[in-house]
Amino acid sequence: MTAPETPDRSSFVLLQVGERRFALPSEIVSELAPPVRLHTFPHTSALVAGVIVRRGHAVPVYDVAPTLLGKDSPTHRFYLIAQRAFGKTSEAGAIPLNGECELATAEVQPPDPGRPAYISGSLKIGKETVELLDFEALVAQQSADTVDASHVEAQS
Amino acid sequence: MRIASQDGGKSRRARRSEPVILFSVAHQMFAISADSVQEIRSTDSMAGAANEIEQPLLEKVRHTIDRAHRKYYVVNACTHFNLPVTRPTLVLILRQLRVAVLVDKIERMAEISAVHTLPLAFIGDERRWYRGLAYVEDHVIPVIEPAGFLTREEFKALERVTKSSESQREMEGAVQA
Repeated sequence: MTAPETPDRSSFVLLQVGERRFALPSEIVSELAPPVRLHTFPHTSALVAGVIVRRGHAVPVYDVAPTLLGKDSPTHRFYLIAQRAFGKTSEAGAIPLNGECELATAEVQPPDPGRPAYISGSLKIGKETVELLDFEALVAQQSADTVDASHVEAQS
Repeated sequence: MRIASQDGGKSRRARRSEPVILFSVAHQMFAISADSVQEIRSTDSMAGAANEIEQPLLEKVRHTIDRAHRKYYVVNACTHFNLPVTRPTLVLILRQLRVAVLVDKIERMAEISAVHTLPLAFIGDERRWYRGLAYVEDHVIPVIEPAGFLTREEFKALERVTKSSESQREMEGAVQA
């Protein structure tokens, strides 16, 4: 007897950034944290807004809204803590959210043509299509944007 | 069978605390190991000992001060950390390096039990500026790496410039005499 063929359905965390919803693979998400205090100090890593403290560790906060929405994010209600790979090690990073999260199971569809590299696919959730984020690529995109902007600024 | 006492376990786990000076620059608080600071002086008291660098090589270093026959480079912490420029009132004279740092004020002394590694997400100059982060009460405070105020290259370049302007001044003095 052979098992019936089923489509590859994985679980995802749906997150609200501004007025849009995105998805992240659930295996990289650690927790949804309350809006604890953001600690800031001078640095030159443009994509990092500061750190929050979770379980005795400083967790960097990535401000992804300008990339995803093209504008600053509104008031933050939660932080989604996800794991980011750094070579053989990984580190928790926080994404500010302004809405609650939802766990969903769906089949990944390829991204629409022309979508940025940080969109790795899309999910059909009911009538809604939610774009799947590649956390690594998103962060890399922000770094590249910052370098480009500073280069233009330096030339002008 | 021996059962280790709880007290023994506690003492092994006890961490050595490190005394730090908490200071602020443009309303931003920093910590620096007390051992790395030789002296704290007011800018007013140092005014007579400060020499302006005629053609500053670095925006953040505009003066030198002479202490015990040694030349110290005065780093403006506001400029160093890209913070809004304020009017510094104190100079931290560092111990192991010929660097003095202009700061706004000393907040207080504190003991920190650990310096936590800077998260890998930080990829810029801050990796050179800080030893890591300290948790002091409800605050996360960057702990200064004293050697981060001037890179070796910056230090060498400053040495070259100040030596050349000194020898020029000496020559001018000899000609006038």
